[in-house]
Amino acid sequence: MSAQFITDAVLVLVILLNLGMLASSRLATGVKLFALQSLLLAFLPLAEEVLEGQSPGLHAFIIGAGTLALKVVLIPYILLRIIRTGEVHREVEPFIGFTASVFVGALLVIGSFAVAMRLPLPMVPVSKLIVPVALSTLLLGMLTLVSRLKAITQVIGFLVLENGVFILGLLLLKQTPLLVELGILLDLFVGVFLMAIVVYHIRREFDHMDTHLLDALKES
Amino acid sequence: MTLFLLVAVPLVFGALCLVLPTSPLRMAALVAGAWAHLAVVIRSWPSVETPLRDDFLGLDPLGHLFLTLISALFAATSVYFVGYHRKRLISQRVFQACILALLSALSLLCISQHLGLLWVALESASLAVTPLIYFRLGPRALEATWKFLLMNSVGVALALLGIFCVAIATTCQRNPVALTIADLVRNAAQLDRTWLRVGFLLGLVGFGTKMGLAPLHSWKPDAYGEAPPPVAALMAGGMTLGAFAGLLRMFQVCAAAGLSAFAGSWLIVFGLISIGTAAVFIVGNNDYRRILAYTSVEHMGVLVVGVGLGSAGSYASMLHAMHNMLNKGAMFFLAGFIWRIYESNEIRAVRGTLIRSPLAGVLLLAALCATCGLPPFGMFFSELGIVLAAAQTGRWWVLGIFVLTLAVVFVGVMTALLPMVFGDLPENSSVSEAELPSHRWRRWTMLGAATALLALGFGLGAYQPHAVRDALARAADSVCRPQAEFVTLARTAEVQP
Repeated sequence: MSAQFITDAVLVLVILLNLGMLASSRLATGVKLFALQSLLLAFLPLAEEVLEGQSPGLHAFIIGAGTLALKVVLIPYILLRIIRTGEVHREVEPFIGFTASVFVGALLVIGSFAVAMRLPLPMVPVSKLIVPVALSTLLLGMLTLVSRLKAITQVIGFLVLENGVFILGLLLLKQTPLLVELGILLDLFVGVFLMAIVVYHIRREFDHMDTHLLDALKES
Repeated sequence: MTLFLLVAVPLVFGALCLVLPTSPLRMAALVAGAWAHLAVVIRSWPSVETPLRDDFLGLDPLGHLFLTLISALFAATSVYFVGYHRKRLISQRVFQACILALLSALSLLCISQHLGLLWVALESASLAVTPLIYFRLGPRALEATWKFLLMNSVGVALALLGIFCVAIATTCQRNPVALTIADLVRNAAQLDRTWLRVGFLLGLVGFGTKMGLAPLHSWKPDAYGEAPPPVAALMAGGMTLGAFAGLLRMFQVCAAAGLSAFAGSWLIVFGLISIGTAAVFIVGNNDYRRILAYTSVEHMGVLVVGVGLGSAGSYASMLHAMHNMLNKGAMFFLAGFIWRIYESNEIRAVRGTLIRSPLAGVLLLAALCATCGLPPFGMFFSELGIVLAAAQTGRWWVLGIFVLTLAVVFVGVMTALLPMVFGDLPENSSVSEAELPSHRWRRWTMLGAATALLALGFGLGAYQPHAVRDALARAADSVCRPQAEFVTLARTAEVQP
């Protein structure tokens, strides 16, 4: 099996995991699927150099390791802890039903492949699937963000969206300085950490995590 | 060295705020940190160093101008905060440390020449401000914080995507291009146009969310309404400028690549939608801080419309950025003062400020005139400049919509807020804590900070020193003609050694 084939397979799996997240109603399952997706993505930075027949450089290793530590271990751990200590374990009555959201998600995937066809890359990419998969991951994350009510699911939606940006960033590993990449990872972590704190406060304040009760602020 | 100090000084004082034992000492550290930063900034004028193509940090005209504005606002706010704070508030340490961390992040944003670094700084700034919004605790503040955090996180993620797209646009070249503004501008002609356009649009949406351009402004009234007023002043006058700087960096690259017509028309569209949205929501609103938030949406719209209109408009836009900082600072300072006296956010409950506190009444009246762009306050000149720029370039429909929506905003703000200045005192008004004689120094500090900003706005509107005009013109020039700017700079840099 060539590295090319593996990269393509991983990217396809990433899309399938996205659809799986849309279909799952259990909060913990969503977090675990996200962790699995990030695990797959963490190895992709190494792919490019392996493809060219070199041994992976330090830069790619650090990015992979950082992703592994943050998105596979730390962030899922925090989120699972919040879910475990609370009483709510399921997403109930989302704005868009589970089946319907998978259907919409599939349409978005088709749409992003269509858009990506019209955006020819100026260079030769690791895999031709990178742009469409990045776009569809982004859109599916956004779909999760707007269609679900539980604060935790919205956080997962944001994280999936961020994974989409990460996939596109794979094209640019050689250009982005390591310092900047680490800054991005750090900011992501602090952001999620703050979100977790706010989710915790929402639960304490309202006794649950529904964000649709957050509607006191509007025009009178 | 200066660049290092700009980021490090606030951080050091912020750390001091965390460890100092007593409240007055911490307050002193906050003020000292903000003013030390201002001192470093003032010493850095006039800038002689020019950012080269490999420099990640540097003081270019645009960043230098915005850095100065932000630093001045923080200095005024630190003084205001001395009068505003109350001892019984817990977690004061975290609050002050976050303010100084915000200053540090915004400084980094202004001086960073690398798009990726700029993104990191912007995200750090929004993370530093999140605890500040939740400072008052309670369900309403929580809701505002959640909306802010989620919308801004998505916004900055899209901005990062936009920056990545610009980076992809550089890959068609054989020799690698660093993502610094100088290098991008120099090689702009060879960038891939399609990806550059996609990048700019994503950047516009991303940075636009952070600035609060409609239709991505919905976090803004909530956050400005629920955050403590000094924090709202920092966000409306400082953080929005930071996001605007990010947007302008993207615009610089587009302008250098010959896409300024494309980018400009999108800026105009978003700007006009913002002013229109603000006009719709201001009329009939009953919460004065939310109204101020909508005027901020309006002024952000004015800023981007100005840049979209080309070089004359860009100058007006830079002028507007300066006066927006002065005006939003003063306005939210006064809102905080009124909130301390009346202890209500509702316009209905606030009547007769002129009787209850004459100085505050006069200042509020002046600030209202400044917000609505009445002469001789500076916003009159900047908005007039944009109208003239629209006329010069022959965009009559832009001119028409711009004037019409501004007129609606004017009527809306005046009818809503003038009764707060005049009118009779509410019957059952009790004396609030801030009005006690022992709190006189607090009142003077708060109003003093507001007066200083308003007087500056008045003075710079009536008379513009040569140095200020020069700084604004150079910043505007570097936005709409980045190539010329960097070429001349590179030439002088070559001659000097």
